[in-house]
Amino acid sequence: MSDLTLDAVDRSGAIAEAFDELTGGTRADFFRKAVIGGAALTAALETPAAAQPRNTAKDVAILQFDLGLEYLQAAMYSEAERLGEVSPKTLEWSRVVGANERGHVEAIRGLLGRDAVKSPSFNFRGVTEDDRVFTETAVAFEDLTAALLKTQAVQVDSRRVLTALASLHSVEARHAAWIRHIAGIVPAADAFDQPTSKARVVKLVDSTNFVTSAPRTRGRRQPGYTG
Amino acid sequence: MRHTRRTGLGAAFALAGLLIVAAVAVVIAGASSGPSAAEPVLPASPRSALAPENVPLGPRPAAYWAPVLAATAAHQEPAGQAVVADVPARTPEGTTNIVLVLGEAERRAGELWVRARVPGEPDDVRGWMPRSALGGYTPVHARLVIDRKRLTATLWRNGRRVFRAVVGIGAPATPTPSGHFYVRNQLHRYRRPFYGPVAFGTSARSAEASDWPAGGFVGIHGTDRPDLIPGRVSAGCIRMTNRDILRLARLMPVGTPVRVE
Repeated sequence: MSDLTLDAVDRSGAIAEAFDELTGGTRADFFRKAVIGGAALTAALETPAAAQPRNTAKDVAILQFDLGLEYLQAAMYSEAERLGEVSPKTLEWSRVVGANERGHVEAIRGLLGRDAVKSPSFNFRGVTEDDRVFTETAVAFEDLTAALLKTQAVQVDSRRVLTALASLHSVEARHAAWIRHIAGIVPAADAFDQPTSKARVVKLVDSTNFVTSAPRTRGRRQPGYTG
Repeated sequence: MRHTRRTGLGAAFALAGLLIVAAVAVVIAGASSGPSAAEPVLPASPRSALAPENVPLGPRPAAYWAPVLAATAAHQEPAGQAVVADVPARTPEGTTNIVLVLGEAERRAGELWVRARVPGEPDDVRGWMPRSALGGYTPVHARLVIDRKRLTATLWRNGRRVFRAVVGIGAPATPTPSGHFYVRNQLHRYRRPFYGPVAFGTSARSAEASDWPAGGFVGIHGTDRPDLIPGRVSAGCIRMTNRDILRLARLMPVGTPVRVE
């Protein structure tokens, strides 16, 4: 069984394309989008789901990529909770963070509708069975997701998606700070956080080999069972 | 002239005092009677398009299975010498071999070992395997119970019975082994009516048929002889009508634990 990169999730290449465009944004674009307030924004955000406009191709690609990361995080916390091999203290925060991450998966799937991609297969290679490694991996992914969401906020087309990403971002940052504190790492060492690129996210996720191909358990060969 | 200036200054102070009193009165009146139309109104906070809801984990799975990435051995102890069973990476049918993970892990000399149920005989073969030899874990929420006395197969999911059918089992000379096993593959679209349209391979191995070319593993499959069901008619396999096996194929995933009692 060969391992795949996170790119395996990006079937059409739309995610990669959109992220290539991410570097073209400017601070002015961000502030133009972010500072808009008032009744127009409120009305746009409160439009019933059925009447909401379709997401743009770029927003779909961004949300699909986020969904891939949320699938990964939700699967990791869920597996740790189910196996129960980490310490009770770790299980305590993992349950809370896992419930948040599963909520993120459901919410982004809801935003994407028919454009939601399926979850890939994961192999956490013992991380969910080792207290120290699990905690360190959790910190790395929470930091990474918060940094990625900062980059995406600059580029999304829709105010609705921008607000969604902002509400995701603050929770991921809280996760990062909480788990950092538990792991004995300073929660907020620097005055400012830096955004991160899609290329770095893909590289880091790829280096974990967590995303794998599904094992082949169905076949067409003649059965050789006892009969 | 001096007198006039002093008088004018006094009037100015008096006017300023009146204006202050009037302004305070307006503020107090405004505070007590609510905002006037001329005051600026702040926009309502935007609501996130994401529903702020946590998602609980859901029912506890019946089991977890993991693919075998490389041929390895299951050991009596973590990192021990005694081997319980050899575990190939492929089944005799060419699919990826799998094991059931039992939820126990130990680190020995820097390597993580996990306890797993592995294919073989007799009943319930368990051993310790290096975690690195296994792929990702998949939870399974179903379990199958084969009742050799009543000749039935019953599938349970999250504590609810979702399937029941009468079955054919091993003849007295070639009995279906009892114990704890699991489904490790699903075959379909082969050209062998004897096995019906779908066949599941299990980790159970018949002691009487272990020298078979394919290892003597017990299957759960359809049949071209529905007239023999229910009964004790097979060489160890569990047979059911083609209608029932097709129904089961929609409900039972690979990795499902099987208890034969």
